[in-house]
Amino acid sequence: MSNSRIRKGRRGRVSAAVASLAVAGLVLTACSSGDGDDTASDSQDSTESSETQEEAADDSAAEESTTEESGGMGDMCGDDTIRIGISLPLTGDFSQPGQEAQRGYDVWAELTNNAGGLLGRPVELVVLDDASSQEQVVTDYNNLISQEKVPLLLGTFSSLLNFPASTVAENNEMVLIAPAGGSPKIFEPEPKFYFFAQQATAPDQANPFVNMIASLPDDQKPKTAAYVSMDDPFALPVIESMQEQLEAAGVETVYTGIYPEGTTNLQPQAAAIAAQEPDLIAQGSVFEDGISLAKSMVQIGYSPDFMFQTTAPSFGAQYVEGVGEGNENGVFFAVSWSEKAPTEGNAEFVAEYQAQNGEGLVPSEDSANAYVAAEVLQTAVEAVGDCDNLAIADWLRANSVDTILGELSWDDIGRPQGDFLLAQWQNGTVEIVAPEVATTNGGELIVPKPGWQ
Amino acid sequence: MDLLQVIAFGVLLGGVYALLASGVTLIFGVLDVVNVAQGSFLVFSALFTWQIWSLLGLEPLLLVPVMGLLMFVIGWAIYRGLLVRVAPQGPGMTVLLMFGVAIAMEGVLNIVFGNEFKSVTPPYFTSSFKIGEIVIPYPQMISGVLAVVVLGGIYVYLRKSWAGRALRASAQNKDGAALVGISATKASSLAFGIGAMTAGVGGVLLAIMYPVYPATQYDWIARLLGIIVLGGMGSIPGAIIASMLLGISESIASAYVPQWAPVFFYGAILVILLFRPHGLLGEKTREDVAA
Repeated sequence: MSNSRIRKGRRGRVSAAVASLAVAGLVLTACSSGDGDDTASDSQDSTESSETQEEAADDSAAEESTTEESGGMGDMCGDDTIRIGISLPLTGDFSQPGQEAQRGYDVWAELTNNAGGLLGRPVELVVLDDASSQEQVVTDYNNLISQEKVPLLLGTFSSLLNFPASTVAENNEMVLIAPAGGSPKIFEPEPKFYFFAQQATAPDQANPFVNMIASLPDDQKPKTAAYVSMDDPFALPVIESMQEQLEAAGVETVYTGIYPEGTTNLQPQAAAIAAQEPDLIAQGSVFEDGISLAKSMVQIGYSPDFMFQTTAPSFGAQYVEGVGEGNENGVFFAVSWSEKAPTEGNAEFVAEYQAQNGEGLVPSEDSANAYVAAEVLQTAVEAVGDCDNLAIADWLRANSVDTILGELSWDDIGRPQGDFLLAQWQNGTVEIVAPEVATTNGGELIVPKPGWQ
Repeated sequence: MDLLQVIAFGVLLGGVYALLASGVTLIFGVLDVVNVAQGSFLVFSALFTWQIWSLLGLEPLLLVPVMGLLMFVIGWAIYRGLLVRVAPQGPGMTVLLMFGVAIAMEGVLNIVFGNEFKSVTPPYFTSSFKIGEIVIPYPQMISGVLAVVVLGGIYVYLRKSWAGRALRASAQNKDGAALVGISATKASSLAFGIGAMTAGVGGVLLAIMYPVYPATQYDWIARLLGIIVLGGMGSIPGAIIASMLLGISESIASAYVPQWAPVFFYGAILVILLFRPHGLLGEKTREDVAA
């Protein structure tokens, strides 16, 4: 009898614990989903930022003397090996792109060391796992600066993680070059040490597609459009910018929807969109949501004339497998890098990636972007001749860097000043169709999109 | 847009949730263990399904009994090898242990399968049929039917078989069951095995419906915990009702106010728990009655 009562009591406590977990889940979900108003997420971000700034301010004070001690003129890189601190989401929600980014960094380190190192010294990457957590990424960069005492940093993956990371870097006056993290929110505090190592920030990702639409003959242009996006700091601004530009160009909006981060089932949205029969569907997707919308459209049997998705189609074979072979044909997406690009060093990057990870394996865009972030840091350090982060930041604002993405340059707050590439899946391969200088197939388009297979 | 279409999607989704949640609630009902590793069991099954399907080109639905059996054995072994030693330390320790199992499984899967999305794509994976104007996707339809078959099978097994009755007796009163010759350890390992088996079956369906990679487990375990709390921890009928509520509310909210979709479900949990602290069909404990 008494054992039974103990057992029942335990059950009560477990029930309470799990109920608490569920309630905590509700609070977290509500916080992350917000209500479509940027103010909500801004206030969340600013709360985290202010906490981060307080934490980092303490570290900063301690670090100031450390930097001065270790940083005599011309020797701020340390004694021998140059250690570069990186936090990456190697586990958790962003582990897929996080591990790809690590591959890109590893390729750069290998090629750099084989070519004599940085400033003639070997480089070593000090990589910490932030487990896809905004709290952990702050801890990681503070540890890299205050415990590991690395003289240089490289960015993590995604706007969500680079935003808090940038506040740590800013407070410690250390340059943070990010391979992913083009959300406009990151640039609102007008950072001085944060640089985004792609061609353009998120809202400008829409431009090549909008320009392509504008270039079409009138009878081929879409008349109506549906816009749907994950509430993601990178994906959403792309779709919002596209909607604004296409509405200004006379394309009528027939559906707008924003769904919370983590949504993987878009069948209901697909039904709602298909009911409006839009000529164009634009989706701010990450991956699973992009697959779900395309698959659901196939199942419902509605094929738009134009389909644009962020990120998901850039996953190559994983995207094709996910939507079903043939259904990728005609889908547009903005992309920063192509393995076919004739840019300087691109072939070497691809070859070393394959040497490290498997012959025939095509590097992902995330790997390429991480490689580029390191390339940018390398160029700036070599130009400055030291690991002086103030000088590196000044140099980056005043100069451009040749990378495997092409030439990159930044404004005063680290926003890149270039244009993304517009890619389209064409008969099983990805072709760059705009801008003209970067096309891989002479700029030929598949318009309208072929029906689903 | 036809509301019926949206509700149909919701019912089908609810069927999938019911199948996946039933194992978690069964394990809690018998063992008082919150199996937070159920998400990783699901992903384990899904990735192995992908591996066999991509190597042999087998019809993935043929793997339902194979993966169900494999996960039963793994679940049984985890109980006998790990849980039985930790269970006397209390529910907190078992939750920690299962967290450890989940993280370890994710790490192993990461090494074995890589950190890439895998999709099982039999010819029907993007196919659908119509009932009137309502579109019914085949994968969801198959999942719904399988959910009914598996849950029905578990129900009949628990009600009609000697082992099932022994399992229920042990759940209600371990000491009393022991007095009539029912081994608590055997009953518990059987329950844990059956719970893991539902993840084995669910994993096959998951791989057909959604891209899967090792960290996918986090998406699922949060939903499953919400379902079993709402349904009443330990109650399979409660989990089925809660799954349908989640599926339908999520579907309607996604179609009309997508940004609020999670709030509908978790808001419903809050409201229902305010009035029914033990969930829809949960039992009151003796301590609650005394209080």
